[in-house]
Amino acid sequence: MATLPLEVVPRAADTVRWSAYAGLAPAVAFVLLLLALPLAATAYLSLSPNVLIQFEGLGLDNFRYLLSKAYYVDVLVRTLRTSFLVTLLALLLGYPAAYVLKGLSERVGSTMIVGLTFPILTGPLVVVLGWMILLSDGGPLLGPLVRRGLLAPLRLLGTETAIVIGLVHFTLPFVILTVLSSLKQIPNDLIEAAHSLGAGPVRMFFRIVWPLSLPGVISASIIAFSLAASAYVSPHYLGGATQLTLTTLVAQFILATFNSELAAAAAVVLLVMMVVIIFAFTKLMSRLVR
Amino acid sequence: MIALHFFSRLYLGLVYLFVIGPMLIIIIDSLNSATSFPSPFETVTLRWYVAVLRHDEFLTAMRVSAIVAALAATIATVLGFLAAYALVRYPLRGENAIATFLLAPILVPQIVIGLAMLQLLALLGVQLTLAGLVAVHTIYVMPFTLRLVMTGLARFDFGLEEAALSLGAGRLRAVRYVTLPLVRTALIAGFVFAFILSFVNLPLSLFLTNPSTATLPIVMFAYMESRIDPLVAAVASMVVVAAVAITVTVERAFRLRLLG
Repeated sequence: MATLPLEVVPRAADTVRWSAYAGLAPAVAFVLLLLALPLAATAYLSLSPNVLIQFEGLGLDNFRYLLSKAYYVDVLVRTLRTSFLVTLLALLLGYPAAYVLKGLSERVGSTMIVGLTFPILTGPLVVVLGWMILLSDGGPLLGPLVRRGLLAPLRLLGTETAIVIGLVHFTLPFVILTVLSSLKQIPNDLIEAAHSLGAGPVRMFFRIVWPLSLPGVISASIIAFSLAASAYVSPHYLGGATQLTLTTLVAQFILATFNSELAAAAAVVLLVMMVVIIFAFTKLMSRLVR
Repeated sequence: MIALHFFSRLYLGLVYLFVIGPMLIIIIDSLNSATSFPSPFETVTLRWYVAVLRHDEFLTAMRVSAIVAALAATIATVLGFLAAYALVRYPLRGENAIATFLLAPILVPQIVIGLAMLQLLALLGVQLTLAGLVAVHTIYVMPFTLRLVMTGLARFDFGLEEAALSLGAGRLRAVRYVTLPLVRTALIAGFVFAFILSFVNLPLSLFLTNPSTATLPIVMFAYMESRIDPLVAAVASMVVVAAVAITVTVERAFRLRLLG
């Protein structure tokens, strides 16, 4: 055995490692050059003077400007308020749905899950077109009631309520899928043990199922919150120009007022807000799971 | 207990009605012969679909979207496979950090990805071309292909690849004839999923198109700014039917779910 060419072993390992990094390189380079670098350029731009706000060198004046106008502060607050409300409503609607789905047979359950992916794969633009029809006072849902005088016109389109409805719909499938996968990880033995020890369904739910599904609930919250805060299509069509959120504000700065610096500043505000809140959710998760 | 059972099923049914409702109403309205929109259902007609097939702008946009989606999905699948293979196959220092970095683009709002690319193109003094558009779409779909392929590879028995190597195949040959065929399902799912997500995406393209590179969602967006009518409902319902048909086919053919 002493004749084994031992020095070959580390060299082979080196080759393997080299080829592994070579495999990673294209994807990493792609994200670095085409996302990280452009984001850095955007951050730089957000610190630069522009036609509206003039100053020397780099500074926080664009942010100071945005945060000094009640109009833009409202946009930030609206984004936060709708995103939290959407997260809460999607959880309230989605958790029971995931719980019922879990109780279905494997075959029926997996067919039902495919149905949940339809709106995701159809894309928000088409789905929001559907909501514009459904929420309009002349549409098939409210139209018959409004025409017979049973209901005063609600004028839902162009309100924050419409944005929330659209976004709850948008985030719900993700919430159901995330909660469902955490429910499926709860060992059946635990549930059977509780059952045979005489726990009723209510007690079993609150003592076993709910605590064990908490990590899923937290990740579902993170997903719902970030999807709601980043959504563009629902706020644009269902909220319109009077109910701007940070995403539609960015688009307005680029497409209507042609101020890239303020667009960049609004984008940075959105990113910072999301990072802070996702970080808080993650902290909460680690505390709950421990 | 029976009442509970009944109400839980009823609840699930209502949730599904909510989830599917907007798509159903689009299909129904695209078949409505009434010209004003939205209006009560009159008779079934296919005239709006015929009108779409004669509408050059929508047809061109569908072609552009298909090209962008095919390029983005191809690049994302290739890069995703290479990265997933490296991450799953070898123990690497910092592999969790690298995986997180590669999956992070999901968390960046798409409108911000588009804005950032617009700044990059402006910095480089480059015109809005198809390349910039394909780049952002690739960035956005790559995390999905990466994750699907990583899941596929996690179930793959690398002993098979070792066997091929010890029987004298080169590494590339072993990957080509042993590994790739066995993770084919994950690759196909990744490609199809990436293609659909790119095809239907609006916010990524919002700042990056010119008249010759306007994707289908961009043309629909511009159209919907001025009016909502059965014509755009017909285009939308074609998207619904295509997305549902592709999803169900992939699910049936490969026993594979694109999500969840």
